Amino acid sequence: MSDCMIQFESVGKKFSKSLQRSMFYGALDVFQTALGRMPDSTCLRPDEFWAIDGVSFELKKGETLGIIGSNGSGKTTLLRMLNGIFMPDKGRITIQGKVGALIQVGAGFHPLLSGRDNIYINGAILGMTKKEIDQKFDSIVDFADIGDFLDAPVKHYSSGMFVRLGFAIAIHCEPDILLIDEILSVGDLKFQLKCNKFITENLLKRGCTIVFVSHNRYAIQDICQKVLYLSHGRMIQLGETTEVMNRYLNDIQEKKVEQSSSLQTEDSLRIEFLDGQGQAKSSFKSGEKVRIRFHYKFDDSIVRPSVGITFVHADTRFNVVSNTDYLFNVHSGYDGLNVPRLGGKGYFEVEFDHWYLPVGIYRYLTYIFSENNTNLFYKNEDAGEVEIVWSENSSMRSLMDLPHRWSVQPNT
Amino acid sequence: MKKEIYESHKFLKLGVKIWPSMFSELGACRDLIWRLFVRDVTAKYKQSFLGIFWAIITPLFAIATFSFLNRSGILNIGHVDVPYILYALIGLSIFQIFSTGIVAGCGSLVSAADMITKINFPRESLVIASMAQALTEFIIKFFMILILFVIYKFVPKWEIIFLPIVLVPMVFLTLGLSFVLSLINGIFRDTAQLVTILSSFLLFLTPVLYPIPSDHVFLFKVNPLVALVNAPRDLMIYGLIREPLDYAVASGVSVLFFLISWRLFHLIETKIPERV
Repeated sequence: MSDCMIQFESVGKKFSKSLQRSMFYGALDVFQTALGRMPDSTCLRPDEFWAIDGVSFELKKGETLGIIGSNGSGKTTLLRMLNGIFMPDKGRITIQGKVGALIQVGAGFHPLLSGRDNIYINGAILGMTKKEIDQKFDSIVDFADIGDFLDAPVKHYSSGMFVRLGFAIAIHCEPDILLIDEILSVGDLKFQLKCNKFITENLLKRGCTIVFVSHNRYAIQDICQKVLYLSHGRMIQLGETTEVMNRYLNDIQEKKVEQSSSLQTEDSLRIEFLDGQGQAKSSFKSGEKVRIRFHYKFDDSIVRPSVGITFVHADTRFNVVSNTDYLFNVHSGYDGLNVPRLGGKGYFEVEFDHWYLPVGIYRYLTYIFSENNTNLFYKNEDAGEVEIVWSENSSMRSLMDLPHRWSVQPNT
Repeated sequence: MKKEIYESHKFLKLGVKIWPSMFSELGACRDLIWRLFVRDVTAKYKQSFLGIFWAIITPLFAIATFSFLNRSGILNIGHVDVPYILYALIGLSIFQIFSTGIVAGCGSLVSAADMITKINFPRESLVIASMAQALTEFIIKFFMILILFVIYKFVPKWEIIFLPIVLVPMVFLTLGLSFVLSLINGIFRDTAQLVTILSSFLLFLTPVLYPIPSDHVFLFKVNPLVALVNAPRDLMIYGLIREPLDYAVASGVSVLFFLISWRLFHLIETKIPERV
């Protein structure tokens, strides 16, 4: 037996955009099936489209796959096909082992029945026997943390309790393959941490294969080894997490920032880092004096130019999507430096008396604006890297490093 | 480890081999059917004031109407060997296994749409469990019949203990129809309304509240419900089935119909989640 848990072979699934036609097609398919004929499902009829098309991948035991893609790219459809809820119209899916799905937790809860009753019903729906549920009952209740509400009707539960109970039942059915669809974001922070801990410490250790759909890239990067990037039902890329995530983030960024490549040539702006002695360096200790020089070369003169630099973590975890991902950012125009007109060659300089940053590598973006910071004149999204190396007093793996002093006062 | 293959027309490609897989699936979801069965019953009466008494209120109204029509001479019901109320209540109780059953069965998939589209589980369990309401209501009505036996000082024959067995074909027929109707309802929601209307019409087209007229009508010959209602009623009143051949044929038809419908359900159920 191969250790391949999930195998997708050029799988496709089509849907109809029109409700009327969907009814008609449904009736037609049903009628043909009832007569024992196999309608050809591999071609599109009017108003139909491929929600998933030509997706192939394999997952081995203990592997974790993240699925990313913008809304409507077919992530949830793919997950439902994995679960056997939707049958493929093309291709073949082979699944080995018991599948547990967290597609929507609490589906099938009866609002009028108590939490206790619903644990047994939901457990049975997920394929557990009464004996199994009896054994795990306390553990489920404990994980769900619903306290006195166990015997209250589920309709009186808060939405958090509802999700917690659903999640608790689902993870206790000991699946070989677990499908998770963006549900961890529902509970409160404490519960999210508990779930993440359970997934990494319990399920992954047991060799559970996980397929994870999420918009939260940190969650994907924490859990997944492989990532499948979908767009309009097609596979864009399948591969190692960092690689695919970068591609995905690049793709969404491309749509967000203005195209600036045509504005100026590469060597319009060159950055130089200098230490207190005026020595050019690319690595510093936290707290050192740092000067950043912006060497410019303009072919034509620019009206009221300003330059800026933005730092982000080089670690892909901190890839730039929005302004909140910036670590810090200085800009001559915003800081009030007024230059009427510049042309030819020269440099701007910004000086930091103490440059406090935690140990790590930082990537920076540079840009030039003209005319009162309104026109983006030049932008380089990958201008270079600078490193903060370890020294006494520097802080590791944190977001900030602040100047500080320790003291101890014994026997007070 | 369990291996599953999903592809289009999966079950059609199985051919005759579908039968073992159907039976094993049914066996595997016994537990689930029972859970859903209990859930449906408890949830049904949980937030109602009169609770299970609703089960007997409706037949009593129907019987009262027919009694009135009979006594006032508007309608000539004909001669029955036992007090009319007893005769009518027994008939109606049996018939309502069918009528309540198909109404619940028809809506069983659509009303659980939320579950069907999110969890993969044997969907026939929903249809089978939808019989819960009909069967519990029958049991309640049966106790009422026993009370009426005492009131009218009527002693049934000992053969009444075979009643559950004699009712089995009726359950098969109801389930068979439920399988088909629940699928159609998944695609066309009109089905539910149609079934509700149809079931009340069938009540009048079946000799439930009146005895079979002496000149045998063609309609009663082809309606399997006639034999399936009358055989259990005969058993309760006379201790024997008066027309065993009709009953045997109707039973055979019911079981055959059930098997065909069940197979159809298996072939088609995979297309339902994307439609509900």
